[in-house]
Parts: sequence; structure tokens; C-alpha cells
Amino acid sequence: MILLKITNLSARVAGKDILKGVNLEVRAGEVHAIMGPNGSGKSTLAQVLAGREDYEVTGGSVTYEGRDLLALPAEERARAGLFLGFQYPVEIPGVNNVYLLKAALNAKRKAAGEPEVDAYDFLALIRQKMKLMHMSESFLTRGVNEGFSGGEKKRNEILQMLVLEPKLAILDETDSGLDIDALKVVSAGVNSLRHPSRAVVLVTHYQRLLDYIVPDQVHVLSGGRILKSGDKSLAHELERRGYDWLLETQVA
Amino acid sequence: MSGVLHAPTPPQSAALRSFASQWRTRPADSLSPLREQALQRFLSFGLPTQRDESWRYTNLRSLAAQNFVDAPQEARGDLGPGTSLSLLGNTGSAATLTLVNGHPALPLTGGLPKGIEIHSLRHISQVDPMQLRRYLEPLPDADQQRWALLNTALFLDGLFIKITSRLTAPLVILHVASGEDANAIAYPRVIVEAAAESGATVIEQHVAQGEHTPLINSSTQISLGRGAQVEHYRVYATGAGATHLDSLRIRQDRDSRCKQFTVALGGGLVRTNLEAHLDAPGASLESHSLLVGHGDRHVDCVNIVTHGAPDTQSSQTARAIAGDTSRLIFNSKVIVDAGAVRSQSQQSCRGLLLSPAAEIDTRPQLEIHADEVKCAHGATTGRLDPDMLFYMLSRGLDRETAQSLLVFAFLADVLTGMSVESARAAIENALISQLPDSQTLRKFR
Repeated sequence: MILLKITNLSARVAGKDILKGVNLEVRAGEVHAIMGPNGSGKSTLAQVLAGREDYEVTGGSVTYEGRDLLALPAEERARAGLFLGFQYPVEIPGVNNVYLLKAALNAKRKAAGEPEVDAYDFLALIRQKMKLMHMSESFLTRGVNEGFSGGEKKRNEILQMLVLEPKLAILDETDSGLDIDALKVVSAGVNSLRHPSRAVVLVTHYQRLLDYIVPDQVHVLSGGRILKSGDKSLAHELERRGYDWLLETQVA
Repeated sequence: MSGVLHAPTPPQSAALRSFASQWRTRPADSLSPLREQALQRFLSFGLPTQRDESWRYTNLRSLAAQNFVDAPQEARGDLGPGTSLSLLGNTGSAATLTLVNGHPALPLTGGLPKGIEIHSLRHISQVDPMQLRRYLEPLPDADQQRWALLNTALFLDGLFIKITSRLTAPLVILHVASGEDANAIAYPRVIVEAAAESGATVIEQHVAQGEHTPLINSSTQISLGRGAQVEHYRVYATGAGATHLDSLRIRQDRDSRCKQFTVALGGGLVRTNLEAHLDAPGASLESHSLLVGHGDRHVDCVNIVTHGAPDTQSSQTARAIAGDTSRLIFNSKVIVDAGAVRSQSQQSCRGLLLSPAAEIDTRPQLEIHADEVKCAHGATTGRLDPDMLFYMLSRGLDRETAQSLLVFAFLADVLTGMSVESARAAIENALISQLPDSQTLRKFR
């Protein structure tokens, strides 16, 4: 089943064309990696899919479970099971981590016609997932990402993902700024969510992450277009040869 | 005094004439000459206009045509502590004193803890006027304090609270503004004297009852003796029709510590002054202002903190949040006198605009006449952070909930500084009800 279908998508940020006709199909159960040099449009693609309003879609279409994704506001996309793991998770002092997570889960449950989560069950769930992500108890009382290190913020993103159990997780450079131990923890978190009914799109610079989360397909995004797609061996080739050979092939 | 009589008199408005008539109804006593000076000084200032620097944001022109009369001394209906009027409800161990238009409404004795003495000002002015005199002079001569002068001239009664030891339970003063006459004015006056090494928490709350809320011209003075510690709250929770002109003056002796909260979540037009004097080494003041703009509320907050001695410290934190067509003004000034070396001060003001028609003006100022001081100030005003908002939307929260949480987070700094849990909870509760989508927000507390 096709979960996400991106057709000829173009988008503009602050008056500048960034995406120039992206095509991509993601099926349930698959893991896709999107790689590419800096400024190629990877993060823009992630933000557009999540529904950031100041990113203007100038052409093309995106369907998610057969629905027009671009017609939905960000919050409805989230409730429908789309999750964006941010490259730079924002700090929100004064809004408690647990409040936010509980509000998020309840918003999703409400949209699905389910009752609100029981407070006791919720806390038990959080503690279980926190353990998986090697997070300390202090997380429960702190503001959203407040004073977190880069690695803690990324772990918090994955924790949120585990609690919300999205059908489609888009993880924007979740590996950047992680040491090797944290990378293993984060990868284990992502792998625990892999399921025939779910899909993951990993946006990354480095092949290293893909040693732990093995993708079904690898795409190279450059200049706002997908230049090449392949299996996991493409990631190894990129690691060895860089991006330049691809760009040159394109020009020729 | 004779000089005052020959001072050029501006064209007298109905309001000024009515203040003079009120003066003529006041009983003569040994304090009368001093109080008459205050009146004359007020009359020579006249009603402020927007040409006066400290009144440029607040238009009081509509007062000029009014013929003011004294508000009634009693209110109708139940005023006992814990009535629905009180934001703080029954805070358990706290003693509540109720003043109706400045007049003490309940017997002042009974139920009071040890270490506190409470007298009515009417009583003190008869039996021990010298004691009161100290709090009536020196008369302030700055134009932003003109309403304190009028209060000094015309108050009829009020409270004199002496604290002699460390009190644990807070003392609640419930100011009820009540009237049926649209021209009524009230002059509530409260004096708190904290003796050396004493300590107390005093919560003043202003509410309204009845059809017309009198113009409230209130004045509070707090004097902290050596090593005294006072936490003071003033909470404006009157209705949208109320006009409030409030002055708070604080004097601090050596090593005293004062923590002050000004919370504006009611009233139509509120002008609040804070004038603090750190008179001796080691004195420190923490002032927190929480201004909530709802409907077309107008709040003009003016703080002036004077460091008059070496090694004194002050901090001023303000959070202003303006929705609808409200307007909030926060002007703070720190003056470091010559010789007040090693003074430290901080001014931080953050404004949050929730509607395109709302307005916030902030102006932190410094006036330094001494060396070796550390003074910092900053002010920012803006809208909700779009990155924070998007983050929450991307987690499935609806826009109203996300905005409310951000708004609440914005105010949290000031709320968490409140030591009296019941007061904090009550203020938080009242505040939430004025924010967008309060029902949702309550669930996350």
C-alpha cells in the first residue's frame, strides 16, 4: 500500500525556489533515506510535509493514505499519523514536557474517536519509553527541551515518536550531533517502531545512521530534485565517492 | 503655606472644585495643616494631561467634568472572608481584613496572630497623630505621585498595620469598591510598618461590588525596618468599568528584603505607581509585575526605584500580555544616588501581543550618579514565537491550545516566584479565564 506519494512537488521559502519537482513514493513497511549535500532542500521537504505555513507550495501534489495532504493544516496531519522529528527541536520554557506529550496523544486519540488516556496509564507508558531512550527522571518536570543538550533534544524527539506511534515518521537529521552511544539508542528507538503498517523517512547527511537503521531505498536530493534512487548500497557509494560524481553525471 | 495660596491656579474643573468641597467636609485635627498642604499641592498640579511626561499614555480627561462625592462607608450584602468576591477565597490560616471604599468593615481584633497590631487610621489620627504624621510627610513633589497627594489630603479611614515578629500566615486585605453613584470616589489608605527583624506577607486585593464602581484613589505605604522581610501583593480584580489610581511607596532600612507583586487582571483603566527607596546598605527589592490586557483594558504601570545607599539591590521583572484592544504600558526607572556605590539593579520587561489591535509600550530607564554599580535593563515585545507554535501544531495540538500554553508559559516566570501557594493558584486561575481557550488550558494545569 502506498502511504505517501509526492508528485512533482515545488516549494518556495522566503521568495526562493527550493523544491523544484520532487517525486517520491513510500509504501507501508518501508524505510527510505533521503541524502544530499547542504542546501539541497532536504529540510524544506520535511517541513513542507509537516505543514509549515510559511513554506509556500508552488506546484505538484502530495497524497497521504490517498488523501490530499497539502489541504490539511499541520495539526490534522499530525493527528492522521504523520510525525516530524525536528532537526533543531525548539525549546519551550514553561511548557512542561509531559503536558505537551499528553496533549499530543489526546489530540490524536480524540481525532480517532478514542477516549482520553488515563493519567496513570500515561505516566506508565512514558516511563517505559523513557527507559528505552535512556532518559532521566528529571525530564518529567522540565520544560519542553528546556536546557537540553543537543543529544537530549534528539532523544526527546524519538520519545515523542514512540508515544505517538505515527504511521509515517519523517526524521530530519536526527543523527546530527549524536555521539555513537546516543546514535545506538536513537536507532534502537526508531527500529522498535518498524512495522509492516508504518513507514520511516530518514533525512541524513551521513551513511553512519544507515548502519543501524537499514533503509529499503536511498534517494539523493540535490538542487530541489531527486537525482538518483537506489538500495542501501547507494549510501555506501555516496560515502565513498561523495556527491560530486552524481552532480557531474547530471550535467552531462 | 501662604505661598501655596498665591500659586497660579489653572482653570478649575468640576473635579478639582469637588475635591476642594470634599476637603471642607473633613474634620479638623492636628494633621489638617499637613493634609491641606497635600491638597494644595495636588490642586496646583491639577488633573494630569497627556502633555505631562509621566501621563503621556493615559488620558484622564473624562474625570474633569465629574462632581466627585465620597463613596459610601458600607456596602450592601455579605462581605465576610471567603465570599465569592475574594479571589483568594478562604486561604485557611490567613486573616482577612475587609475595607469598603477604604473603611474597615469588620472588627479588627480577634483571630489575629501574635506579632501584629492593627488599628484604623481614624483611631490613630485621634490617639497618636504623631505616629501617623511620619507617613504623611515628606509630601512627594513629583507629578507622577499627585494622586498619592490627593489621597493624603482626603482619606477618611484605612488601616495601620504594625508587624513586630515573623508571621507565617499571610494577611489578606480585601478592598471592596462599592457604590450606586456614578460620581463616587474612594480613598483607601493602608500603612504597613514592619519592625526590625519582623516578617509578613500582605496580600491586597481590589474587587468591586454594586452598580457603579467608585473611582478608586488608593495609597499603600510599606516601611521595612532593619532586617525585616515583607512579601506584598496588590491584585486588581475589579470589573471593566473601574478606574483605579493606585500608589505604593516602599521604604527599606538596612538588610531588609521586600518582594512585591503587582497583578493587573481587572479594571478598565488602571494606573499603578511603585516608588521604592532603598535607604540603607543591604536593602533589596524584587518587584514583579504581571499585566494582563483583556477587552479594552488600559494599564499604565510606573515604577521608580531609588538606590539611596551602598550595597543595595533591586530587580524588576514585568510580563505584559495584551489581547483584544487593550493597551499596556510599563515604565520603570532606577535611580542610583551619589554615594550608593556597589548598587546592583536589573530591569527586565517582556511584552506579548495577542491581537493586532493591542498595544504595549515599555521603557526601562537608568539614572546613575555613583560609581561601581551594576545596572542592566532590557525590554522586548513581540508576538508568539512561530517556531514554538509550529512545533506544538506538528504534535497535533490545536491552535488555541498551543497558543494558550505559550501564553501561560510566558507568564510562568512571575507566577512561580509567588511564595503563597494559594495566592498563586488563585491568581493563575483568574488569569487563565482571561486567556483564549481557557477551558482547554485548565486541563493541562
